[in-house]
Amino acid sequence: MFHRWRGPGARWRARWAGFLYVLPMLLYLALFLIYPIGRVLYLSFFDVTLLSMTPQWAGWSNYLWAFTFRMPGQEGVYFLASLGRTVLWVGLSLLLKVSLGLAGAILLHQELAGRQVYRTLAVLPWGLPWAIAAMTWAWTMNTQFGLVNGVLLRLGLVSQPVAFLGAPVAAFVSTAVADAWIGLPFMVVMILAGLQSVPGDLLDAALVDGASPWIRFFRVTLPLVRPVVLTTALLSTVWTFNSFDPIWVMTRGGPVSATETLPIAIYNVAFRLLRFGGLGKAAAMTTVQVLVVTAITLGYLQALRGGQEGSQ
Amino acid sequence: MKGRGIGLAVALAVLAGLLAWSGTASAETLRVLLPIGGGYTEEDQIAIAEAYMAAHPDVQVEMEFVGWDALWDRIITSIATGNAPDVIYIASRWIPALADMGAIIPLDPYIDEAKWALYYPAVWESVEYQGQHWGIVRAMSTKALLYNKTLLEAAGVELPMTSWEAILEAARRVHNPPEVYGFGLPANRFVSTVTEFQNWLYANGARITNEEGVATVDSPAAVEAMEFYFGALKAYAQPSPIEWRREDLIRLFKSGRLAMYTDHVFSVIEALEAGIDVGVQMVPAGPQGDRPFATVVVTDSIAIPAQARHKDLAVEFAMFMTNFENQATWDITLGFIPPMPAEAGLEAFNPWYWQVFIEGLEYGIPQAASIQDWEGVQEALLTATQKYFLGQADAETALKEAAQTINILQGVQ
Repeated sequence: MFHRWRGPGARWRARWAGFLYVLPMLLYLALFLIYPIGRVLYLSFFDVTLLSMTPQWAGWSNYLWAFTFRMPGQEGVYFLASLGRTVLWVGLSLLLKVSLGLAGAILLHQELAGRQVYRTLAVLPWGLPWAIAAMTWAWTMNTQFGLVNGVLLRLGLVSQPVAFLGAPVAAFVSTAVADAWIGLPFMVVMILAGLQSVPGDLLDAALVDGASPWIRFFRVTLPLVRPVVLTTALLSTVWTFNSFDPIWVMTRGGPVSATETLPIAIYNVAFRLLRFGGLGKAAAMTTVQVLVVTAITLGYLQALRGGQEGSQ
Repeated sequence: MKGRGIGLAVALAVLAGLLAWSGTASAETLRVLLPIGGGYTEEDQIAIAEAYMAAHPDVQVEMEFVGWDALWDRIITSIATGNAPDVIYIASRWIPALADMGAIIPLDPYIDEAKWALYYPAVWESVEYQGQHWGIVRAMSTKALLYNKTLLEAAGVELPMTSWEAILEAARRVHNPPEVYGFGLPANRFVSTVTEFQNWLYANGARITNEEGVATVDSPAAVEAMEFYFGALKAYAQPSPIEWRREDLIRLFKSGRLAMYTDHVFSVIEALEAGIDVGVQMVPAGPQGDRPFATVVVTDSIAIPAQARHKDLAVEFAMFMTNFENQATWDITLGFIPPMPAEAGLEAFNPWYWQVFIEGLEYGIPQAASIQDWEGVQEALLTATQKYFLGQADAETALKEAAQTINILQGVQ
């Protein structure tokens, strides 16, 4: 039997070839993920501001600052108040995205005339730059010239224009709505893809067994698209946690601090409050935020795994 | 033959490209960071670069434009990453922070006698920090009270209004929402909200800090100014002032639905062009005022980063931008107050409305005198303003909290 001779060079090539194939991705991860995270972690242990870029070792003091600093006149610890606000804001935005995303996907999954047109229209908001979308929402909700107030007034639903961005609770909800609108197309498209992958024979079998449309949806469709919904919701959670543009463009964190979520607070500490803030403290806040988001991600993955095990 | 012809054409094209590239590479490239928006247009600024390059064919001026909103961030991130442009356009209120960072250089060694003599002394004071001058003023503004004469005269208001009570009474008389609003009040989380409030603070003899940098914005005079401007006038303001920037109010004013508000001279010109019968007067003294009128004086300037790769060239370009002819053209076109006495004598500045703003300089107070970290101070004042406005705190409490924050920022607690 003829054996092809494989010298040491060939063995080396075989061993390293796989590594070479993934090298570009490893380099990419190192450059754009590991280095920035490492740099943030490094800065969080140093006293460094944009006023003085020479880092001085600070130990855990930036973390201590994050968990104790109170802005004069504000209730609670600045960082924790922002974190709490962020969790609520992300929760509200995500609730809107998932519920409306699911509803939109189900609607677009139906046999409708001009379905392709609706599907295309549904994706359009995602094509807009976020800042432009936020600006559009700010004007749409404007008290004096806004479309929403115009419609509400004409329909007689309100007697005075509503200050959507001028009152704390209204601004909190309005920015979350704008953020949900921006993120909705992604949710719709992903869930729609999930719906399309549900095997028709399963639904047919349920139909033959006499299951009502509700039973078919909740007992067959929903369990099968659950992994897609959870994965999409996970991605959306991470993105929403980092959402900056809609709030910055619409309210800049105001009125007072009603919409000052963590990204806005971190930005203010790094760029605006130079004398008592700075990059080190902003980095400590960022590190804690990353840990919080990681914990949420692990929770999601656990839920996803549980769902898959349960479905088998 | 055909293939050879194509090859030759490609080779010639590559050669031509290389020649063109080598020509560009031999020119020195000057990177300039400039604002856009808020009255600043690309065309007017590019025109200066083109004029400079026409006179200096060996220099390539690359202009980068950033919205005013993002200019501060762009400047400090470029400095933090060691990639600062050669020339930067800054709000003069940023000078202390940038100078403390070692981010910009003092320009005293580059300014000759003739240049010193061109400007009002107060203009140089606006770019002075720790005994040195860190910028060359490019734009200056004072503010005044713009009013719709037709509306106020129809309401029987005596003009000009000589006291705060008279302004309040006029706003009350003319206020007829949603057709007409008595007073245009900006309370958005934006720099111009603080700037416009400063007019009233100063008119009542109050200041943000004293000369040592200690916050005095919680003084009784400041509390009274806040209670008047954001309190009493609020009843006659347009709906939801927190959503409004001063920059947005001109639209309401031009539509004839706003009786008065404080703004720049260029808004007067805009309103006149829209057919509004505009009146202009200085903000009169408040009950505790120490001068008959007051205005905040805001200047923007050209500065040279310490990291500039072509410092001498950068200085030369800055001098070119701000020479008498270019400065006059700039001020007339964009509607800024002339920072040079000789410029103020030009015919273009003769119209009555210009004179109100120019004469206002006599009663003007710099925007950020003795303030080291404007951005932080601005945030503290905006929070106080919105808290009071929303009824979350009374004026005294809101301003005391702002003063505490400002003292931390100023390092004087």
